[in-house]
Amino acid sequence: MAHFEIKNLTFSYPTAKGKHSLEDVTLSIEKGEYVVLCGKSGSGKTTLLRHLKSVLAPHGKHSGEILFNDIPMDKVSQRDQSAKIGYVMQNPDDQIVTDKVWHELAFGLESLGTDQKTMRARVAEMACYFGIQDWFHRDVANLSGGQKQLLNLASIMAMQPEVLILDEPTSQLDPIAASDFLNTVRKINIELGTTVIITEHRMEDIFPYADRAIVMDSGRVIADDTPRNIGKLLYEQGNDMFAAMPTPVRVFYGAQGEGDCPLTVREGRNWLSKAFPEAPKVSTFPAEPLADEIENPALSMKELWFRYEKDSPDILRGVSAEVPAGSLYAIVGGNGAGKSTTLKAICGICKPYRGKVKVFGKRVEKYKSAELFKNCLSMLPQDPKSLFVKKTVREDLTEMCRNEQKIAEVAELCQVTALLDNHPYDLSGGEQQRAALAKVLLTEPKLLLLDEPTKGIDSFFKETFATILAQLKIQGITIVMVSHDVEFCAKYADMVSMFFDGQILTTDTPRRFFGSNSFYTTAANRMSRHVFQNAVTAENMIDLYKQNKEG
Amino acid sequence: MNTSKYDAFSKRHPLVNFLFFIGAIGCGVVIQHPAYLIAGVMGGGTYYLLLNGKKGWKMILGMLPMFVILTVINPLLNAYGVTVLFHLFGRPYTLEALMYGAAIAGVFVVMLLWFGCYNAVLTSDKFTSLFGNLIPALSLLLVMVLRMIPNFIRKAKQIIGARKSIGKGAGDESTTKEKVNDGMTVLSALTDWALEGSVITGDSMRARGYGTAKRTSFQIYRMTAMDWTLMGMIVTLLFVVIACGANGSMTATFTPDLYIAPITGLNTLGFIAYCAFLLIPTALHIKEAIQWHISRSKI
Repeated sequence: MAHFEIKNLTFSYPTAKGKHSLEDVTLSIEKGEYVVLCGKSGSGKTTLLRHLKSVLAPHGKHSGEILFNDIPMDKVSQRDQSAKIGYVMQNPDDQIVTDKVWHELAFGLESLGTDQKTMRARVAEMACYFGIQDWFHRDVANLSGGQKQLLNLASIMAMQPEVLILDEPTSQLDPIAASDFLNTVRKINIELGTTVIITEHRMEDIFPYADRAIVMDSGRVIADDTPRNIGKLLYEQGNDMFAAMPTPVRVFYGAQGEGDCPLTVREGRNWLSKAFPEAPKVSTFPAEPLADEIENPALSMKELWFRYEKDSPDILRGVSAEVPAGSLYAIVGGNGAGKSTTLKAICGICKPYRGKVKVFGKRVEKYKSAELFKNCLSMLPQDPKSLFVKKTVREDLTEMCRNEQKIAEVAELCQVTALLDNHPYDLSGGEQQRAALAKVLLTEPKLLLLDEPTKGIDSFFKETFATILAQLKIQGITIVMVSHDVEFCAKYADMVSMFFDGQILTTDTPRRFFGSNSFYTTAANRMSRHVFQNAVTAENMIDLYKQNKEG
Repeated sequence: MNTSKYDAFSKRHPLVNFLFFIGAIGCGVVIQHPAYLIAGVMGGGTYYLLLNGKKGWKMILGMLPMFVILTVINPLLNAYGVTVLFHLFGRPYTLEALMYGAAIAGVFVVMLLWFGCYNAVLTSDKFTSLFGNLIPALSLLLVMVLRMIPNFIRKAKQIIGARKSIGKGAGDESTTKEKVNDGMTVLSALTDWALEGSVITGDSMRARGYGTAKRTSFQIYRMTAMDWTLMGMIVTLLFVVIACGANGSMTATFTPDLYIAPITGLNTLGFIAYCAFLLIPTALHIKEAIQWHISRSKI
């Protein structure tokens, strides 16, 4: 008996003028399966997932049928659906209803009218299983994003669902929290046999462990197979989604490798060892010239010290760095290390109590605020939503500048021309990011600061974003970026700095920087470091592989 | 509020806490008898200091000028009384009115102290859990509002920060009109944001079965034997205090004639009961500290 049986499901939103968001979707999901649903933003993943729970199903024109345990969905009572089908959404914050951790854990049980004794036992059980005991009495407001999302998961698991549906649950989390979360989901699947249906950008953490991958494109299911076969299929079709595959898969097909396609770093290493039983002729890229003294840096920071309150610990503990003009400079490092605070210090939003920030050779305090943010410096915040204050993207851009031609140019550059008349909140994560970037660019900055620009964006949109950044660099704009996304930094940055314990510890080119790290580095480097010395991206690896095999 | 973690009374059931504060604040408002007021200040002050540590002194010392000002002002407004001390602006300044002022100021100080303790002990979650069973819908609403307020403030800060970093938003050089305009812009963005968030919260609530059954409410606190004992003590002592009060043992009138009930005979009983009642949290705190000390020294 299939757990979910979807038969010829077609759906269109009332506003879509007949365009189908889901078209003739037929799927069957077995009990205990771990299914990953992939596809570009806007391919209908969320719409499909929401159909699997009546209260969340969008309004519009439906046809076709969905069976849950062989019973048509609309015949399954709301109570059964609430208890048996768990649904975790993207935003960790807005899903939480109450103000205390223990209360949130009990919320679902309270709604179902569970008696005191059962509730006590279940809540205790969940708190232990998810390791929540230590923060059981805490205020929800004091939790980190990762803890919040774990709480959302736990409060749903307390109702003991048979199916767990997760809609991009880690898109707002940093990589370590994301990986923890996904491991917990996997643990639930393996230890409890709960069916899991998940959509995710971070394929590296899921793909190897999923039983099945389903690929969607413009509302249709275009592939439904084991992850290994999906990789092959997407490569052969030349599908855009191939870019989202884990690094080992991309390297394998990119390099036209032989044997079974590797899915994990471990399999990738074995595959590479087999391909090169002896050390390869070319194992390294030619050495990059060491950086000279930077002349006229666009930005220089000297010994910045900062703390938020008089008796709180120092967040910045002597940050020093020089950013060459016209480069893309990335700062990587763990959560709460002070990376975002550094950006705020550059903008003058946080005032360091010691140290100097110079922007284009002039101390930042010497600028008048109107001068600094016009034609000089501008920052894209971590949450692009915090920049939108109007009803349409166009109005938001007009707030910055009245020159329509300029708006049109910037919109073109950021690829948001088609979205100008939409409400900013109706855009997808990647689109919001670009619209916000457009708004920031209208100040015509020469120095652009980006705070976690790739957070919550799928790999396809990341590439679009990277091309925009490349164009900005051609225009001579210096970009300083703070990020968790090592893969993105390795691929596109000119310089990478490691931020740790309130200061910048090392700075180097991505190849030297990641090439010499063994933990804090890209999947490509971890996979190839026993054979190649400094291949830090999939492209690097493919390049070296081909050099050795062909010539 | 971190300090309240180590406080024994705060760890008791919210019902015990609530009952105590009703008694303490209720009596504090009604009783103007100087001896009782002093007892109130001592009881409330000691417990306030136990809860807040060194920071508590600041607040307590801050009350001193308030006490003096309130005391001195009353005779200016109230000219009743027989013992005229001197004339001010042609009006008599009487001893009775001065004492009455002191009594009112004393009531004020006692109330402030107990409310300060109340805030530290009866946190919002205790309060809502106390009334959760009686009015589940209302208590959920309260909990959601409590969560929304800090969220709103955080988001407002985020929007203002984001706008600052693109050179928008009111700075020091802006005119009032610009500031108002910018405030409106931020407020409207904030509303949109909150609305969007509330749609998700609503989804999340319905997804977890909100409205499918009669809600129950999870009781994180349980009444223990110790809680029942304390309840008994609180009720008994309060009963004695009220009974004595009805008998006139704590009457104090200031104007026109000064009359303060003497603490003799049966009246002593009421006073002792009142003192004992007010000392419950402090005694519990000290008892626990001593017990901890003894049990540790045995290890």
